[in-house]
Amino acid sequence: MTDAVTLTIPRGRPYYGVVRLVVGGLALRLDLSYEHLEDLQLALESVLSNDAYAASDEVTIELEIRDSTVEVSVGPVDGSELGSDLERDEAGIGLRRLLDAVVSNVELEEREGGEWVRLEKRLVAGSGAK
Amino acid sequence: MGSAREAARGGKRGEVTVPHEKADRELLRRYHADGDLEARERLIEQYLPLVRSLARRYSYRGEQLEDLVQVGCIGLIKAIDRFDIDRGVELTTYATPNIIGEIKRHFRDKGWSIRVPRGLQELNVRLSRLIEELTVQLERSPTIAELAKASGAEEEEVLEALETGQAYTTVSLSTPSSGGDYDDLDPLESLGELEHEYEVSEDRAVLAPGWRVLDDRERRILHLRFFEGLTQSQIAEQVGISQMHVSRLIRRALEKIRDEIALDGARTGTDN
Repeated sequence: MTDAVTLTIPRGRPYYGVVRLVVGGLALRLDLSYEHLEDLQLALESVLSNDAYAASDEVTIELEIRDSTVEVSVGPVDGSELGSDLERDEAGIGLRRLLDAVVSNVELEEREGGEWVRLEKRLVAGSGAK
Repeated sequence: MGSAREAARGGKRGEVTVPHEKADRELLRRYHADGDLEARERLIEQYLPLVRSLARRYSYRGEQLEDLVQVGCIGLIKAIDRFDIDRGVELTTYATPNIIGEIKRHFRDKGWSIRVPRGLQELNVRLSRLIEELTVQLERSPTIAELAKASGAEEEEVLEALETGQAYTTVSLSTPSSGGDYDDLDPLESLGELEHEYEVSEDRAVLAPGWRVLDDRERRILHLRFFEGLTQSQIAEQVGISQMHVSRLIRRALEKIRDEIALDGARTGTDN
């Protein structure tokens, strides 16, 4: 079964709370654990709240469920900024380390109108698993 | 360093909105050395867009933007008045944390958090306890539906109440740190002091600034979460606080890191 929710918001902190609530609503429908919800919100926030990754005044978030995986795509983003942050990062907590802790896979992808970042979270039975 | 910075700034494409550094220094010199109040006025006017852009970041909290600009201006004026021209930092570097600090103090003094409806706050407190209990009982993290059932609240109310717990995070930058070398300083005010130490390598320049503004507990929690791979509930158990509190502390610490890295970027002007 595939199920998708798409949300477009102006870039800016006031709207990230809206995203959090929408992700919460989705978690509720999917019966995700509190920890999985937290992980997804944190992953999204880390991409949204860094202005360096902004590629437009608006940003779209697609939440899609495939079997036991939640896919969250965010775009358009500044792929070179985001890409270099994904590659950097050994010593401290940057984007790479943060996302590795909360989602299963991260990929940049080209789409019409710009680059997107796709975050995948596999929903393993039990809590807190990646 | 100054020349590297200038070169970097010269090489930066597009929107440089920061007033020109050399002209600033001249105005600062005229004000500090000669007592030229007109120079001070001009500096204030030049930096108003910076105040405005910082104020805008906080205006969604129900405060009028103009009120916050006024508050931010106090921070700007203090920064201009206290600026030490021999320190070799740019006014932007010095003024930004001062402006943000003044705005955050304003929120803290006004106790803006009481705006959260009381019922939700109470539910939030109850949920915090229930998450602990259910995690132990179920041997896994509970779902929203389970939390709703256990608390007797609607599922959407549970989501909203969980959200209210996150509503306080950003203001905490202005609370005193609980350890480290800068105990006496507001973390924001200490940022400028740390600056010279971050130029050792690119990695340190990107990562160390954030790390340094964290207190010991925040560092420990981030380490457990992102280096040791522990879950929030495992951390909660180890540190002896609730899982919801762990969640808040992680968010707050990451936000501090982000803010600090953003400030650091503004200082060097080399990020883009």
